[in-house]
Amino acid sequence: MKRRSIVAVCLAALVAAALAATTSGATKKATAASITVWLQTDAQSGWPDLVASVNQKFQSDHPGVSVNVQYQSWGDHLQKFDATLAGGGGPDVIEMGNTEMTKYMAAGAFADLTSAKGQFDNSANWLSGLAKSGRYGGKTYGVPYYAGSRVITYRTDLFKKAGIKKLPSSTAQYVADAQRLLAQNKKKGFSPLYIAGTDWYVAMGFVFDYGGGIATQVSGKWKGLLASPKSIAGLTAFKNFFTSVSRASKTTDETHPNPYDVYAQGQAASMVGPSWFSCCVKPYSAQTAQFVMPGHVAGTSMPGFLGGSDLAVPVTSSNKALAIDWIKDFTSTSSEKTLQAKGNIPNATNLLGTTVNERAAARSWFVPTAKHWVDVENGNILRNMLAQILTGKLSVKQAAQSASDNIASVLNQP
Amino acid sequence: MADGGSTAAAAGTLLGTSRRRRSAAARLGRGAVPYALIAPVVLTIALILGYPLYFLVRLSLQRYGLFELIRHQGVDIGLANYRSVLHDQIFWHTLLRTVVFTAANVGLTMVLGMLIALLLARVSGPVRILLSSGLVLVWSMPVVVAVQVWAWMTSYENGVVNYVLTELHVGDYTQHEWYGSTFSQLSMVTLLIVWGALPFVAITLYAGLAQVPNDLLEAAAVDGAAGWRVFRDITLPILRPILLILTSLSIIWDFGVFTQPYLLIGQSKITPGNFLMSIYLFEDGYFKSDYGRGATISLLMLVIVGVLSVVYVRRMVRIGVET
Repeated sequence: MKRRSIVAVCLAALVAAALAATTSGATKKATAASITVWLQTDAQSGWPDLVASVNQKFQSDHPGVSVNVQYQSWGDHLQKFDATLAGGGGPDVIEMGNTEMTKYMAAGAFADLTSAKGQFDNSANWLSGLAKSGRYGGKTYGVPYYAGSRVITYRTDLFKKAGIKKLPSSTAQYVADAQRLLAQNKKKGFSPLYIAGTDWYVAMGFVFDYGGGIATQVSGKWKGLLASPKSIAGLTAFKNFFTSVSRASKTTDETHPNPYDVYAQGQAASMVGPSWFSCCVKPYSAQTAQFVMPGHVAGTSMPGFLGGSDLAVPVTSSNKALAIDWIKDFTSTSSEKTLQAKGNIPNATNLLGTTVNERAAARSWFVPTAKHWVDVENGNILRNMLAQILTGKLSVKQAAQSASDNIASVLNQP
Repeated sequence: MADGGSTAAAAGTLLGTSRRRRSAAARLGRGAVPYALIAPVVLTIALILGYPLYFLVRLSLQRYGLFELIRHQGVDIGLANYRSVLHDQIFWHTLLRTVVFTAANVGLTMVLGMLIALLLARVSGPVRILLSSGLVLVWSMPVVVAVQVWAWMTSYENGVVNYVLTELHVGDYTQHEWYGSTFSQLSMVTLLIVWGALPFVAITLYAGLAQVPNDLLEAAAVDGAAGWRVFRDITLPILRPILLILTSLSIIWDFGVFTQPYLLIGQSKITPGNFLMSIYLFEDGYFKSDYGRGATISLLMLVIVGVLSVVYVRRMVRIGVET
């Protein structure tokens, strides 16, 4: 009897454990006199003072309305957003990466801001790359927030010690300088230029530098371009460049580890990444400067990925007018100037300055604006291709062909 | 059961009803009380599992993507999701990989757990306390923390594993890549899972070993049996119910394991080439916002786990009936 009941309890536990795989959800209702804003943690660590002052201004213009800013991380904010679309309690304003916009605009997740566009400062001069990412079917859904390009952050002392008098003006020159840097720094694992193996932002820069591309639309259908001769030349150049300059893991991405951690440990003479990487290079802050990554033709710059963020108003928001007012304050000329002072690229051409970040943005590329592009990113098709190429598991041609076919089939999904 | 009947009879007496009606009430009570007793449990399970399960089945019969999510309205498409998943090459490859992965994990966990339990039974008191405290410490480690520590230990740049192996002259492990191929990625995950699962299995089996009557073992020794023979013919049969429960639970856990592989391998290295079922479900359902398909995959997983563990559950039921 006793034994039987133990078995019965165990059986019940088994059933429960097996069924526990199902999902759960929670809902929350927002109150009328407040708006919820989802910003990425970049704002939390980089410009919390701007967020605070904008909220203050907004609240003095709208007495009784409180602003609830919730910081999100890039890794899971879309999953969270999806959950709020289903269950309610979502934000009134959401920051979206510019490569994330299209899928949501196509699904009708955002309010149409076309008629309000004229009310945003400098909206006639928005950076075309960002403005394009917030437009779908001729309507505006996203307000450009800020952009960032990728630059080289380097150790002035190590470059000097290696006898490098002039900063490299071509990738070939960079490879030659890398040899000098290696001769001076014999420690194993030292990278003259730290590039993570599957950092596709850098690799695609090479593809565009050689005149290639990722995908293009031919009479309504997407066609993969990575296996084209020009793209293959770019990928081959990337492989050779990586092998000469970087000792990073061939299969890791650009956040594991953070390149600035490797740099701060003295394991790299330079690194590629957003210009704000200079924030975190202690103890080498005094010996750190930045320049624009050169292209393969001497005197040109490497085409850089123009990353950036848009602000959008979800259709589920019940305070759309207030949300638009908040975005107006947050993207005003004075706000953008503050963002610029923090090392970002402001959202409009008339505000552009001449920092290294802004010069790097002069030659830039962007991902295909396809509804399913975000699936290509999340599916790690490009990263997987780079890992295959760098580890030698597949030839450049084989890996590029398979990635290209893969991308076309993902982008052409209904 | 006897307890329930007498309680009902006592209640009848207290109410002072007639003998005939009382016996009828007693009979009715005798039949109804067990059901009344399990009713709260059945009701709770029906509420917290039944409704989500019903919803999951409904979702699996709909097209339910981002577009539908925003409108809170799916489109009924019959069995199209099932057809599309079952015709997906990735599904079958992932299933095969997951079954092999589960077999390796469960096998290693059970064998090593048994060995540690036997060791626990043999060692002296203080050593046993030391060993079991170590096991409990492993057990108490939250999964996410454990993954982080393992990731650091096996880090390409500064991992202590690479350092120690190099210092011990096992070879040059400077910047050794532990997550370079699917096989090595899943091997690292297996190591982590088995490490985390051992305490529960070892301690439970050790408790089971304590139930093996000493006189039986002594009798076997007198008859000249020793070592492996005693283990096979006496210890193992007595432990059988516990082994069955542990194996079934391990199959269920390891088949659906998500946290360890997803965090240790890392999202940026997840591709269809190293999917496990739960990751396949997550990538297709959540990342691609195809919730109908996600529901379909999770229901198929439920069926597969059921099939995989049916042998064990049946045996367990049979043991229950026999005794």
